[in-house]
Amino acid sequence: MRNLFDFLWRHSSWIVFAIYVVLCCVLLFDRNPYQRSVYFSSANRAAVVVYDLKSEVSSYLGLRKANRDLQLRNGELEMEVVNLKAQLNNYRSAVGKDTIPADSVLHDYDFVVARVVNNSVAQINNYITIDKGRADGIEPEMGVVDQNGVVGIINVVGEHHAVAISVLNPKLRLSCKVKGSNYFGSLVWDAVSPRYAILEEMPRHVEFAPGDTIVTSGYSSVFPEGLMVGVISDYKKQRDDNFYALQVELSTDFGCLGYVRIISNRMKEEQDKLEKEARYE
Amino acid sequence: MSDWLRYLFLFVIVVLLQVIIGNNIHLFGVAIPFFYIYFILRLPLSLSVNWVMTLAFVLGLTIDIFSNTPGMNALACVVLAALRKPVLNLYTPRGEDYAEAVPSIRSFGMSLYVRYALTLSLCFCAALFLVESLSLLNIGRLIARVAASTALTFLVILGMDSLTKSGREKRL
Repeated sequence: MRNLFDFLWRHSSWIVFAIYVVLCCVLLFDRNPYQRSVYFSSANRAAVVVYDLKSEVSSYLGLRKANRDLQLRNGELEMEVVNLKAQLNNYRSAVGKDTIPADSVLHDYDFVVARVVNNSVAQINNYITIDKGRADGIEPEMGVVDQNGVVGIINVVGEHHAVAISVLNPKLRLSCKVKGSNYFGSLVWDAVSPRYAILEEMPRHVEFAPGDTIVTSGYSSVFPEGLMVGVISDYKKQRDDNFYALQVELSTDFGCLGYVRIISNRMKEEQDKLEKEARYE
Repeated sequence: MSDWLRYLFLFVIVVLLQVIIGNNIHLFGVAIPFFYIYFILRLPLSLSVNWVMTLAFVLGLTIDIFSNTPGMNALACVVLAALRKPVLNLYTPRGEDYAEAVPSIRSFGMSLYVRYALTLSLCFCAALFLVESLSLLNIGRLIARVAASTALTFLVILGMDSLTKSGREKRL
């Protein structure tokens, strides 16, 4: 027995070495990177403090390039504004009618203009009542927009009126994306302020910055792709660290909704039927 | 006690240097300076190998936590700690006794310290990049990375040692 202890003592450094190597290998070959403890990643509190401080300093270093990029972007956007103004002038001539035929991009969609007769922003579940109903071709699950952006989705339809779930309602989840990328998340209202909503489940590797535009993704048949929703005002990591939650400043002013447009998708029935078939197949 | 504090201070300094500066440097896309192994090289030779390995493991794991590579730096550090004495024995002529010394240019002399630091930097970089390339092996790139990083790390260690030297002399 004593010899054994002597032996172990004499070779203790080999044993300690082996223990550490095994420990390292266990950490290295952990096959479950997503279940890795937060303490072993740079998301733990100490690491975050250091990295925050570091980015405080280093964010000043790339300003020249950032500035040039912004100027380029500004130029692009100015061009886009010019183009859009031209398109807008084309539409102006057609505005006299209630139903606006959309141009080539939106050829599957029709617009019906309606007046908002009742609206709330102060409750948790907010709804909007409009003065068009089934008689005017309104159906449930049509999208509602105004000149600034997305407003809601038609919920209940009467003969001459309809009720839409407002974006300011946690029951509504809107599939949205950062303009210019194809990654989407779902926009949901957190019932805090009528000016802001939260875009959840945005993958961490998507590049974005506060000020970027959030548009509808077009992945549901309700809204066409690219409708303005808002701009990113802030973002934070979600619990599991692989997604960001973006705070979006809504472009629609829900406090003073006047006229809204209801979007009807002529292809909606076909799309829904196909998706349903695919689901039950 | 004050020695402990001094080493704790050095520990913090090398970790901060590494995660704030070192990990962001990729000279020519291949060379990364490893500031933090200076801590292991600097530990007194009177310290038992078990302690050196323990401290190396903790240091490596700390770096790993910051760079999201659990186990990788820790493994290379433990290997480095285990090789420290054998490498020194390789270069010291019999009879010369450094058993109580704190490795530095001053105590070792330039030529021995250069060999000591260069060999250990090479061992460390080889171990680290071998472990790293387990996921994606590219021999040419591996050799380039090891060679370039060894050179850069060696320079950095020499620089750090000459910076800490003056303080050491005052104390002695």
